[in-house]
Amino acid sequence: MSTDMKVMVPIGPQHPALKEPESFKVMLNGEKIFEVDVRLGYNHRGIEKACEQRSYIQDIYLIERICGICSHSHTTNFVQAVEEIAGIQVPKRGLYIRTIVAELERIHSHLLWLGVAGHEIGFDTLLMYTWRDREVVMDLLAALSGNRVNYGMNTIGGTRRDFTPEQLQEILRTMDVLEDRTKYYIEIASVEPTLIQRLSGVGFLSKEDAMRLGAVGPTGRASGVNYDIRRDDPYAAYSDVQFKVMVNENCDVYGRTLVRVGELMESYSIIRQLVKQMPDGPIAVKAPRRIPVGEAISRYEAPRGEDLHYVKGNGTDKPERVKVRAPTLANLQSVAKSLENNNLADVPITIAAIDPCFSCTDRMIQVDDAVFTWERLRAYGIDWYKSQRGIDFREVKKLPW
Amino acid sequence: MANEQQIQTELVQKFPFLAEKFVIKRERRIFCETAYDHFLEVFGHAVEKMDFKIFATVTGLDEGENLSFLYHLSRLDGTLLNIKTSVSKTNPVLKTVTGWFPGSALYERELVDMFGAKVEGLPDGFRYPLPDSFPKDQHPLRKDWKPEMLPEGAGSIMEEK
Amino acid sequence: MGFIQKLVKWSRIKSPWIIHFNTGACNACDIEIVAALTPRFDIERFGIQLKGTPRHADVLVCSGPVTRQIQDRLVRIYEQMAHPKFVIAVGTCACSGGVFNGCYNVKGGIDSVIPVNAYVPGCAARPEAIIDAVAKLLASLDQPEKAAPELAETESPEGAVHG
Repeated sequence: MSTDMKVMVPIGPQHPALKEPESFKVMLNGEKIFEVDVRLGYNHRGIEKACEQRSYIQDIYLIERICGICSHSHTTNFVQAVEEIAGIQVPKRGLYIRTIVAELERIHSHLLWLGVAGHEIGFDTLLMYTWRDREVVMDLLAALSGNRVNYGMNTIGGTRRDFTPEQLQEILRTMDVLEDRTKYYIEIASVEPTLIQRLSGVGFLSKEDAMRLGAVGPTGRASGVNYDIRRDDPYAAYSDVQFKVMVNENCDVYGRTLVRVGELMESYSIIRQLVKQMPDGPIAVKAPRRIPVGEAISRYEAPRGEDLHYVKGNGTDKPERVKVRAPTLANLQSVAKSLENNNLADVPITIAAIDPCFSCTDRMIQVDDAVFTWERLRAYGIDWYKSQRGIDFREVKKLPW
Repeated sequence: MANEQQIQTELVQKFPFLAEKFVIKRERRIFCETAYDHFLEVFGHAVEKMDFKIFATVTGLDEGENLSFLYHLSRLDGTLLNIKTSVSKTNPVLKTVTGWFPGSALYERELVDMFGAKVEGLPDGFRYPLPDSFPKDQHPLRKDWKPEMLPEGAGSIMEEK
Repeated sequence: MGFIQKLVKWSRIKSPWIIHFNTGACNACDIEIVAALTPRFDIERFGIQLKGTPRHADVLVCSGPVTRQIQDRLVRIYEQMAHPKFVIAVGTCACSGGVFNGCYNVKGGIDSVIPVNAYVPGCAARPEAIIDAVAKLLASLDQPEKAAPELAETESPEGAVHG
């Protein structure tokens, strides 16, 4: 006998006793999800309006803070659009520096994601190890830019900081360390049966649905959508490097994991190529304070997927319009679809698999009138898989270092 | 820029009114403009016959008397086709494109909240991105809107007690 | 000070429970707070535990500028916490609104809504700075009149004793 339970999942950290606007309204039939309604709008800060009232340079710092995990993505995308309107050519060395930081950001973001995904399924060892490795990248980014997050590397016309030869050597050493460690994560991902069992078949999203619903980045590429802005609409220094675009046809969370781990390896290779080919010369050209009338659209392959910025200049030192379409917004629409026919126990990892902004993963679930916190749903998922499928990550052999 | 020119040729042949404002800004960036009564034909043709199967988003613009909307369509080869159209600010009615792209609902809702557009055919749902208690007749991205216009306490997502 | 109060204070200093709340931040401070839990920084060696509910927490660790949507909820969460309670504002946005000051949806820093005991500036605040703030807060418990104004007036034994 099936029971129709209404489970409502709002975005944002919330308290059990307070009534909240839902963000994912999940309809269950017994254990299985048959319909999901997505509701958003929680973190609205009015950035686009604020951009119109601030100068382009001030906007760089504002836009950097749209998301702290892919902040360099947003600023690079923004300055690229402004540079296009103003007809500014950034010197090669500046482009290389931007690209190196971009790939370092991708590395830190994917390692972060691996840890978070591990945490969601009860594989906390993975969380601890990946975040410890992530510290290696954070240290490097702090040495190169002065900050662990929000690097402030960009200005209109190029970058604000240069790299010394010693720093370039440090980058190469770091790539060696990380590549070694990542090989183990690849091994875990490809042969550890517990992980494969837990992630395969979960959160299925067909290629047609991925296209229709606009899934981007690793979410789309794991469903066979062979699309990567770095290759298909190249920007910065990507035309100068060779790399593979990771695509697979798994269409599930396991596929998304494979894409991200594969992208880590490609990032190490891209960075090595960039350091080896690093041209000399200036890192920036002087940009005018007033940007001419015109419009441009810049796209960027952020760790989560395609980020799109539209900028319209009106001849003053403030933009007429700035529009940002972040990748998570595109991917959230596909989550609803990918949750269908899954079990309630799959909700945490399926939502986490699109790699939403971290604060978006604090959620609360209301089952009838009883209240689940995200933690409780996560624990529910872990217990369900333990009791129903015998999947227990405490049995996984420890990583070898 | 053979690819872009091919796109221009095909679109202008089918829709001669596009010729006047058709611009190839650079590789992979095509801009064209049409009055709203022809917009859906052009959009539909690009999606169904020219393989622009990825809908990135729609950007709203306050251009004084009119509200303009720039629809950004993309293809797997990386080309971005941007179709601009306008409606009057006093009666800004658009038709939804969710028939082609269910994922566009969220972007269209943003136009409703931030610009006051009326999108016909948009499936029922919540508003986005503004919270329920934000006044429905205030549209932040319109040029004449100022934050001072917000009543005190507006925007809170807590229910009235 | 009576024996029970000494015990409560000792256990609070030895093992404070925190609740983390994001009031509309860009997440940079949030991941630094989580990084504080990971092996490099390891905040758990101080006995600090991250809890999911305000009712069991001693310290509210807040990141982000206060948006219009969130302000009432922030107040409610603060009210749900039992005395004595402390608030740490992590990050420049939580201290003063940061870059978002002036945005129509942002009211300001955390202290525009609830009293704050410790401010940790930074964009993002480093994990070391966050740990330092918590340590300083704990040390200040020896001087309750500095920690939370309400504490000096009412030495209320409401707070649960955590073993």
